[in-house]
Amino acid sequence: MDILVFVKRVAATQEEELRIIDEGKNIDLSKIPFKMNDWDNYAVEEAVKIVEGRGGSVTAISIGSAASDEVLRRAIAMGAKDGILIESNETIHDPVLRAISFYNFIKKEKIQFDAIFTGVQSEDDQFAATGGFLAGKMGLPYASMVIGIDAIENGYFVLRRELEGGLQERIKIKTPCVMSIQSGINEPRYVSIMGIRKASKVERKTVKFNDYAENGDAVIDLIKWSYPEKKGKATMLTGEVDAVCKELLEILKNKGVC
Amino acid sequence: MGYALIISEVRRGVFEERNLDSIGIANLAGKDACLLIPEGNYNINSNMVDRIIKVKIEESLFLNPLIITGLITKIMDSLGLPDMVIFTHSSSGIEMASYLAGKMGLPIITDISGYEKNGDIFFKSYYSDKVFGQFRKIKDNPLILTVRSGSFKDFATDKGKQVEETTVEGLSDIEERSFVEYVEEEKTGVDITKAEFLLSLGRGIGNKDEIPKFEELAQLLKATISGSRPVVDKQWLPKERQVGTSGKTVKPKVYLAMGISGAFQHIAGMKDSECIIAVNKDPEAPIFQYAHYGIVGDANKIRDKLKDIIQGG
Repeated sequence: MDILVFVKRVAATQEEELRIIDEGKNIDLSKIPFKMNDWDNYAVEEAVKIVEGRGGSVTAISIGSAASDEVLRRAIAMGAKDGILIESNETIHDPVLRAISFYNFIKKEKIQFDAIFTGVQSEDDQFAATGGFLAGKMGLPYASMVIGIDAIENGYFVLRRELEGGLQERIKIKTPCVMSIQSGINEPRYVSIMGIRKASKVERKTVKFNDYAENGDAVIDLIKWSYPEKKGKATMLTGEVDAVCKELLEILKNKGVC
Repeated sequence: MGYALIISEVRRGVFEERNLDSIGIANLAGKDACLLIPEGNYNINSNMVDRIIKVKIEESLFLNPLIITGLITKIMDSLGLPDMVIFTHSSSGIEMASYLAGKMGLPIITDISGYEKNGDIFFKSYYSDKVFGQFRKIKDNPLILTVRSGSFKDFATDKGKQVEETTVEGLSDIEERSFVEYVEEEKTGVDITKAEFLLSLGRGIGNKDEIPKFEELAQLLKATISGSRPVVDKQWLPKERQVGTSGKTVKPKVYLAMGISGAFQHIAGMKDSECIIAVNKDPEAPIFQYAHYGIVGDANKIRDKLKDIIQGG
């Protein structure tokens, strides 16, 4: 089975404070570390696991600046056969443009595949739309929030989708298809620095985003960035750690829980 | 005035409450609200919308992205193009919305939590609510939206006029993608929804080795351990301990969140707790917007100090 996996390099902002600059036009990411999108990490692992079990290949594809090569190297270190960078100097925010570029690339280069995997969403824009848009455009069956693949048989995936409140649904989907993989579906393997170094020796292909941009005119416009409305009324406990902790224990006592 | 086509989410016979947010944004934007729903007995005030189209179809087929796209195309053929097609921002909502957008080549904005009528501007979360992008559409074609639960339900009000109801034929099942069955999560020993005091852990605690040290603190405080999605995904804690939309909704007396930044899906599962105390390194972490008490600091350091004080005293 040949699987294409889309991977994205994103800013790791969990523990970072984000600053809006240029009068709302940009976000300052200059001091923020980057990494592979968490969901894509699970998607690569799932694809590699399938191929290890039944043969075939995994190809990682990324849209982004030259720096995105690092996520391709990571995917290769995890077991992808090769990596392709669709290089764009601008950040593409609109999932429609990302999907159209993938679509044009796959069609024009006649890339063969049995399944396309994406992460459910990316940590930066949380759009959760690239996989679905691509499937619709290609006319292929689609499933998102895939939290388990139970069987692959007779040209079908039998899989589970995560719904809300602990409920899942089991569905059957015919190949070729597009699937968006949910975090937690597997335990992504550890990638060592040695592994990444070895992966660097595998040749990665780079193509230009503009060569695959036909019918990819912008349809939505990001006017500006803003901070969330402050509605917080939290009483902040400040001071020395010792004093703060004593205050916290006092609050717990008053609430009658300890 | 154009109309908004609202795709209702019904799950195991229940009209999900988050549909009210889809209706709310249609009303807020001043569109005629047209609700598409499978035929059945649901508990809804139908006067919140202008028109209801009932479809003779099973719910599992209605929620299939391939089938709903066919149904929506049929509706558009007979009613004309809407200004918006609105879905809930949920597992099935995002699946159907993105597929429809690709099939019809339409613009899409997901996870909408704010709207400004002046300028037709949609607010969308980025970076787990640390910033918001303000979007508008460029071309004059229908815009596909998914709407964040809880954002617009206050605008889903009785319009004070008789709703127009029609019934249409459904579509049959397809082999490309078909529903098999619902699968319930396994029931295990711990039920975090019953706990009075939850000590909830996020990825800010750093790594799995920290967990036993928090378990010691939980024992000293007589608290029950729970966690956020990333911590469960990384298998630092079992799934039954997960708080949030895909896990459990909890309302303890005290919710002590340590190293949790507060993604919307997490907040939705704990915001009704009686008292929320948050510890996080980032002073701008969204969780402080929902907390009653906050401490800016390293969760592990606070943990160790708390243990010292309790054991020393």
